[in-house]
Amino acid sequence: MTRLRRWLANPWGRPRFLPLVTLLYMAWAIVPVLIAIRFSFNEGRSRSTAQGWSFRWYWEDPENSVWTDPDLRTALYQSLKLAGLAMAIAVPLGAALAVGITRWRGRAAKPANALALSTLITPEIVMGTALFLVFVHLFTFIELGTVAQLIGHVTFSIAFVLLIVRGRLLSIGRVYEEAAMDLGAPRLQAVRMVLLPLLWPSILASFIIVFAISMDDFVISAFLSSGGSTDTVPVRLYSNARATATPALNALASLTLGLTIVAAGVIFLAWRAVRRRRGVTASAVDELARLGA
Amino acid sequence: MLYPRWMWPAFSAPAVLWLLAFFVVPFYSILAVAMGSVDPILQQPQPAWNPADWDPNAFTFVFDNLFYGGGIFQKVFARTIAYVAIAVVLSLVIAYPVAYYIARHAGRWKTLLLVGLVAPFFISYLMRMLAWINLLQEDGWVNEVLVWTGILDEPRNWLDGRASSVVLGLVYGYVPFMILPLYAFLDRVDPRVLEAARDLGASRFNAFRLVTLPLSTPAILAGVVIIALPMFGDYYTPDLLSASPNTTMIGNQINFYLRGGQLVPVGAALVCVLMAMLLILLAYYLFATARAARRLAE
Amino acid sequence: MDRRDFLRRGAGTTLGLSGLGALLAACGSQTGAPAPEAGPPPATTPGGETAATTAAATTAEATSAEGELPFPLARPDSPVTLPIFDDNPPIDSGLEPEAGPLKIYNWIDYIWKRKVKDFGKEFGVEVELSSFYTMDEAIAKLATGQTDYDVFFPTPDRMSRLAYGKLLRPLNLDYIPNLANMWPVFSNPFYDQGARYSVPYTIYTTGIAYRRDKVKTDPFELANGYEILWDPAYKGKAFVLDDSREALAMVLLKNGVTDINTEDPALIEMAKQDLISLIDLVNVKYGIEDYTKIPEGSAWVHQGWSGDMLAGSWYLPEGTKPDVLGYWYPPEGGGVIGNDLIAVLAGGKNPVLAHHFLNFMLDETNAYENMINFNGYQPPLTSLSAESLIADGFIPENLAAAAVRQEDFENAYLLLELSPDGQTLWQNAWAEFKAGV
Repeated sequence: MTRLRRWLANPWGRPRFLPLVTLLYMAWAIVPVLIAIRFSFNEGRSRSTAQGWSFRWYWEDPENSVWTDPDLRTALYQSLKLAGLAMAIAVPLGAALAVGITRWRGRAAKPANALALSTLITPEIVMGTALFLVFVHLFTFIELGTVAQLIGHVTFSIAFVLLIVRGRLLSIGRVYEEAAMDLGAPRLQAVRMVLLPLLWPSILASFIIVFAISMDDFVISAFLSSGGSTDTVPVRLYSNARATATPALNALASLTLGLTIVAAGVIFLAWRAVRRRRGVTASAVDELARLGA
Repeated sequence: MLYPRWMWPAFSAPAVLWLLAFFVVPFYSILAVAMGSVDPILQQPQPAWNPADWDPNAFTFVFDNLFYGGGIFQKVFARTIAYVAIAVVLSLVIAYPVAYYIARHAGRWKTLLLVGLVAPFFISYLMRMLAWINLLQEDGWVNEVLVWTGILDEPRNWLDGRASSVVLGLVYGYVPFMILPLYAFLDRVDPRVLEAARDLGASRFNAFRLVTLPLSTPAILAGVVIIALPMFGDYYTPDLLSASPNTTMIGNQINFYLRGGQLVPVGAALVCVLMAMLLILLAYYLFATARAARRLAE
Repeated sequence: MDRRDFLRRGAGTTLGLSGLGALLAACGSQTGAPAPEAGPPPATTPGGETAATTAAATTAEATSAEGELPFPLARPDSPVTLPIFDDNPPIDSGLEPEAGPLKIYNWIDYIWKRKVKDFGKEFGVEVELSSFYTMDEAIAKLATGQTDYDVFFPTPDRMSRLAYGKLLRPLNLDYIPNLANMWPVFSNPFYDQGARYSVPYTIYTTGIAYRRDKVKTDPFELANGYEILWDPAYKGKAFVLDDSREALAMVLLKNGVTDINTEDPALIEMAKQDLISLIDLVNVKYGIEDYTKIPEGSAWVHQGWSGDMLAGSWYLPEGTKPDVLGYWYPPEGGGVIGNDLIAVLAGGKNPVLAHHFLNFMLDETNAYENMINFNGYQPPLTSLSAESLIADGFIPENLAAAAVRQEDFENAYLLLELSPDGQTLWQNAWAEFKAGV
């Protein structure tokens, strides 16, 4: 008892239960996913009993594998297509907004910022409903399906890009541009030659985040889907989990995860290369984690 | 001014216009549908765009069932609030120590642990949920472990519609989104502040209680808001983990009314009511953070 | 705004008085002055429910007197010939099929994908299959006018709405000679006289699916087989169909009410209370995946459709014998019976191809193979009898009750279209069940 008290009172001791909690949490968060990936390689049709190893549910099964079942295959295409397009649109929009809002001293800057951030606090079911109703009743020239889904994904992505890029902007200040202009650079060129390179890391991080949240989105994709061919991977996971659940579902999810990791990895490596060139040494992962928040 | 006046508004304009068109206008359309009617043949909503045509009946129905005892929505709102509250508290209990450890004590494991923290962002929520469901099945590994260790005598049916499974599912799904902001904040706390506290004789616990915890109040509040708001709109977690009337959350009820039939305006009105509730919550958050900032400044 | 004002305005607009409006209008009046003469049934909750019952009671009279519903409600004793509108004519005979892709909009897991592929091969086109979970959800999506599906699988109760709403294209039966393979009644059904808009796809009954190896009482030995769902022994393993009409109709039948299209608030209230009693009694869950839940064993008793159990053996885990599946339907008849349809959508781009697809699915071999290889739901082929299906071993002994005979239609009950007020009653009763206790 006294030992315990002494240990607690010692200001320089190391907390021991913390590593245990952390370890348990990590196991809890990651192990189920690893098990799910393992079952994607199951030989048999069970998703809970280990029955050998095979690629049956990836491509070997003639009817029910990800590759041979057109529903699953198109879901994967649809997810990738949406994520790619959402990156291409949301990142420029969000980055420009970040630059604009941070530098803009006008009265409208604050409301613009609040507007962008309010998408973050809107539950997906609310945004999904809103977009569904508006496409069906007002913007009837936009059809449900890929375009509608894309608009939804871009809308909720802008705020993330804004946060990430603005964080970077605030930390670099405006001295570099001013220096460039003092040296005679035209204004737009100052933005392009000075600001843009400085913002690259945050822009790359935005690409990763937008890709990931677009791949992950379920509610908005489901509300705005026009059925079958525009169902994304999460929509399939949800509907098939309740109906025909075979390990092909696990294979589909694992493939999505794999592709996200590859995409994130490529962007991450590019980012690290950029940082190296500038001699930044802090942990890149660490910086990413902080950007994400 | 180095730049012309129009330049920064011009940078902001595309995204602002986008958000006006695809965020603000859609919000109005929810209201227009809630205040509108349905056509008698295909039962599709006829939004009332003009406030002069507004017909508040859907709201009347929702309020009647919300504020009178035993109404359809009262139970569901109460249950949703309870689930979210418990899930948020549990999430905090898990998230804080983990974030704290990684931020301050992880040492050379830090990078690896950070990868573990970020990983859930790259794994689809539904995939994580399905993985978890698989383990919870009657012949799943959770039961096997519990029976093998003797905690349970026989396998338990975790998916038979119990509230605990839904709440744990919510925690499982959302806790990573709370850890990250907490980590980002705790990592920024200047260690010298704590060292000073300890130099002054504070025990580790007291240093935490009197210095770290108050300092991190804004981060905790931010984490709470980040996970609580989406939980209020969740309908797929209870659907997948329970599908029992006893765990119906407000999102399920919204989804039920919205998915066709002639009562879509009721669904739209429910969305408006939910949003109003969340805005109150948010206002409290802003107030609380402002207060915390003031306290720290003193 | 008071109720009268609402009624007047409702009548003044072309929109008429929707059930929602009627219900809500009365809600408004109820909050204003809590009517002491409230509902006929015991007023259990002061909220919407009593309001709902009063509303329906008062407005039902008013609306039926005015004949406000813009289409007729089809009943077996008052058949309906659906109109063909000038701006939505059938296609001419003898046209060449289009190049596709043919877009099919069907219930989830409700067709053998091989058959869809076969059709594509035969006509040299791509075929896209999309699915939905509920008829409401499907109609909501079609009504947006933003989809271009060609083929749809509606239910008879919605035929009037779909035809009057011009979502369906009238059929040119010249393309569908195989309709003659089906029971003659479907060439002239009461909901669509002359088969102007629809051909039959499947027939089914609604009963109780169960695991024979898990339940202790054989529902066939119970005086009232529906009671098995109310048996606390199957707590956590009992399911009702996630369908307001099916679930409440079952409770009505269990209690001896055979008018399963009733709009009597007292009866619906009774059914709702009995359904709600399942929550505490057996912790009931809802779903429409009886065809996987029973084989997997995550459900032991599940209100279910006959075809789902016949398809169920496909979903059995390896090592589980097919004879564990059971299906109960009242042996003396008198349960819920139904048939599903195939129709051509007006918004599709391949009407000729769509007609060919209908004909293809009515082909004797295709319809039969679709059933026995995957779907489980029985097509109403004249060449197919319940006895032959059992003799061929496709319907095993333990699922004999899942076979549907033509005479079953004579003493069973169909779920039919309701008036808007009726619908509101049913839907809110279901929402209240789903809200839990």
